[in-house]
Amino acid sequence: MIMHRKSPEDQPRIGVYVCHCGVNIAAKVDVEHVRDFAASLPGVVVSRDYKFACSDPGQELIQKDIREHDLNRIVVASCSPQLHERTFRRTCADAGLSPFFFQMANIREHVSWVTVDPGAATTKARALVAAAVRRVARAEALALRQVPVRPEVLVVGGGIAGIHSALTLANAGKKVFLVEREPTIGGHMAQLDKTFPTMDCSACILTPKMSDVKNHPNITMWTYSEVDEVSGFTGNFKVKVRRKARYIKEELCVGCGDCVDACVMKKEKVQVPDEFNVGLSKRKAVYMPFPQATPACMVIDPKQCLQLMKGKCAQTCVDACERAAVDFDQTDEIVEIDVGAIVMATGFRPFDAKRIPEYGYGRFDHVYTTLEVERLVNASGPTGGEVVLRDGTVPKTVGVIHCVGSRDRRHNAYCSKVCCMAALKMAHLVKERTGAEVFDFYVDMRTPSKGYEEFYDQVLSEGVQFIRGRVAEVTDWAMTPEEEGKLVIRVEDTLIGVARRVPVDMVILAVGLEPQVDTAEMQRRFNISCSQEGFFLERHPKLAPVSTFTDGIFLAGACQGPKDIPEVVAQAGAAAAEALALVDRGHVDIEPNTAWIEEEACSGCKTCIPLCPFNAITRDEEKAIAVVNDAMCKGCGTCVAACPSGAAQQNMFTDEQIYEEIEGVLAYV
Amino acid sequence: MAQRTPRMSNLHITRRIKYQNELDLGFGKVMTSIPGAEDLLRCIQCGTCSSTCPLSIYMDHTPRKIIAMTRAGFKDEVLSSATIWLCASCYSCTVDCPKKIKITDVMYALKRKAIEEKVWPRGLPIPVLAKEFFASVLRTGRANEGRTVAKVWLKTRPLKLLANMGLGLRLMARGRMSMKSERMTGSVDQLRKILDSVHNSDTGHSPG
Repeated sequence: MIMHRKSPEDQPRIGVYVCHCGVNIAAKVDVEHVRDFAASLPGVVVSRDYKFACSDPGQELIQKDIREHDLNRIVVASCSPQLHERTFRRTCADAGLSPFFFQMANIREHVSWVTVDPGAATTKARALVAAAVRRVARAEALALRQVPVRPEVLVVGGGIAGIHSALTLANAGKKVFLVEREPTIGGHMAQLDKTFPTMDCSACILTPKMSDVKNHPNITMWTYSEVDEVSGFTGNFKVKVRRKARYIKEELCVGCGDCVDACVMKKEKVQVPDEFNVGLSKRKAVYMPFPQATPACMVIDPKQCLQLMKGKCAQTCVDACERAAVDFDQTDEIVEIDVGAIVMATGFRPFDAKRIPEYGYGRFDHVYTTLEVERLVNASGPTGGEVVLRDGTVPKTVGVIHCVGSRDRRHNAYCSKVCCMAALKMAHLVKERTGAEVFDFYVDMRTPSKGYEEFYDQVLSEGVQFIRGRVAEVTDWAMTPEEEGKLVIRVEDTLIGVARRVPVDMVILAVGLEPQVDTAEMQRRFNISCSQEGFFLERHPKLAPVSTFTDGIFLAGACQGPKDIPEVVAQAGAAAAEALALVDRGHVDIEPNTAWIEEEACSGCKTCIPLCPFNAITRDEEKAIAVVNDAMCKGCGTCVAACPSGAAQQNMFTDEQIYEEIEGVLAYV
Repeated sequence: MAQRTPRMSNLHITRRIKYQNELDLGFGKVMTSIPGAEDLLRCIQCGTCSSTCPLSIYMDHTPRKIIAMTRAGFKDEVLSSATIWLCASCYSCTVDCPKKIKITDVMYALKRKAIEEKVWPRGLPIPVLAKEFFASVLRTGRANEGRTVAKVWLKTRPLKLLANMGLGLRLMARGRMSMKSERMTGSVDQLRKILDSVHNSDTGHSPG
């Protein structure tokens, strides 16, 4: 706790510091004028302008003034509190002043950066400074609260990001809950054949990590499970996990596959598209996604199983299972856990190529996506690694199309970052496997990581035909005899300067990366933000890339934006480190911005109780009034706004402070 | 300056599209298999060659585009292009190329191919010069400047030979040029053998 040198009853003696921020503010706002104006405000003892208030000399200047002029309130008019509130609070605290006697006026993001006219900017800066001065005069002495932190961490998503985060945390000795909604961990990486640029076999480098997760004593792995509800706050989250019924007893199943052989869905036409093979093969109602699935446990698809849908089936699977693992009576189970931190690693979904009808995906049999071709070239894929088309032929000419769904304002304006390399990998693999003539249609070739440009160079030297131009259309309308029976790619060869028609046997669409379908729902459930394109938003694009605006929740992998495997792993490690830094410290400091109830004013109407998103308000039945639990209140202010009798008040946001601030804005403009 | 109103007859509207069957992918493959020209495949189309080339401003296709068209099999366009003949062998492009492509050598390879396919622009002295120069070396082991120049003019623009007579005589008077046939010492046979083996090497490209 901090000792206050000044008692709050003292008359306010305010110091105002108007920051130039180099030229960021001073080029637009007349800082000398604002300084002189501030000096004229009631309670202001010192008013100065300074080149960089946040610099060491700037902070020392403030501390010197606190001592020499006996200041008990400080206002700094500079940038966003997001950036330097903490800095100046520390400056005050180090000089013996309560950090909550500090107020910031944002005259950079809110004024100089967004105002064209210098006169208007100066006027607005005056108003904001006046508001801060009037508000800080009403500030109260408060102290940071310390709350203990739970040591467990929840990792949401079991792709390579979640796997790496979970292992890092578990290796540091923390208990980790890894929740994955699919029946197996592994994510998209498990579907890939090779990984660029070194062409390691994807499964060979991933599956050992998958078994590490399963066997780690510190990891509780829940597959086929989803997070239903999150409450609480940093250090103390309460999470409800739905463990979906897989109708197989996980502890008994060894993944032998006898039930699959026995399943009555023998004819291919009654089977369903296999998700793992992106629909290129079929599966039965009982299945394991792929041989190395972790856990090696079957799952019964309730939407396909005759017994579960109609209650009528010979139940051959039950008879076939020697270990009696099949259990049609299983139901979803809700498990409640307490965790100190959450790592979001929910990944991405590939762009649906059907949304670009001119490329013919879903219309022409021989138009594939990169993910489908990953399965085609994979030795354990539906064709055993042979690149054969849906009609059984081997393609002699192949066209690879970049930027499908990316860099296109009609779909996704952003660059999906991984598709150029994925496309190059496809060009290389298909040429290697079939000897086909490969044409690669690109808009800009983006290969900016270690070893990537060298890989592009290699594919160039292998004789892949690169054509720079965005493909307009894939058509089966032949204009020459040579084009008959082929898919014709229409493009401008922008480097040669001529329109071209390139007939091919196979088209591969390098689809981009999109946010998961339910990102918006996840955003609400976890109370985190999304950026414009729908990926989870990091707290700061450069300096807090794995943090969210919600303390205690961190981001790993492609749920934050398109990323390739090396980047995902690096970020997952960073997210794990941030989570570790939180849970390992054992406690968190929390802003004293909690609400309280003025007992005399409370009528006991209960309006506030259901509104509180953190369940922090209960009713004292004896006194018939509401009571706020200090430890659970997050300071959102909902109850304060809703209370019909003005009984709910909030620290740092008292009515008095807010009114003074409004007065300050209005009184001087 | 008075602006002339554009006329319909001045608009040259032509159909411009390339069908794949009009291209010769084999041409690109042959050209990129020539020793020294393999790196052509690595070209990233940055255009450094075109911007550094002192003569690209006169070319119908810039060197960068020639490389793109060669790779893509635009055989007719490449071999009939003035570009390959305008190349002065200054080697700026080769020096500056970030992919270390021997562009000047590629230009030579294309010139040889054009001569082989008999599609060089008739009347252009450069291919004739190449032939005469090589013939002289093959015959005598020496490049006989005076004789070679006279032959080239005679075969391409006889009138030009007359016009340049004065210059030629002045050069001869100062010992800068000679019509005397020089020969290498010893037998020319050894040199011929070397050149023949190049000629008959598996690249199958005539050196002249």
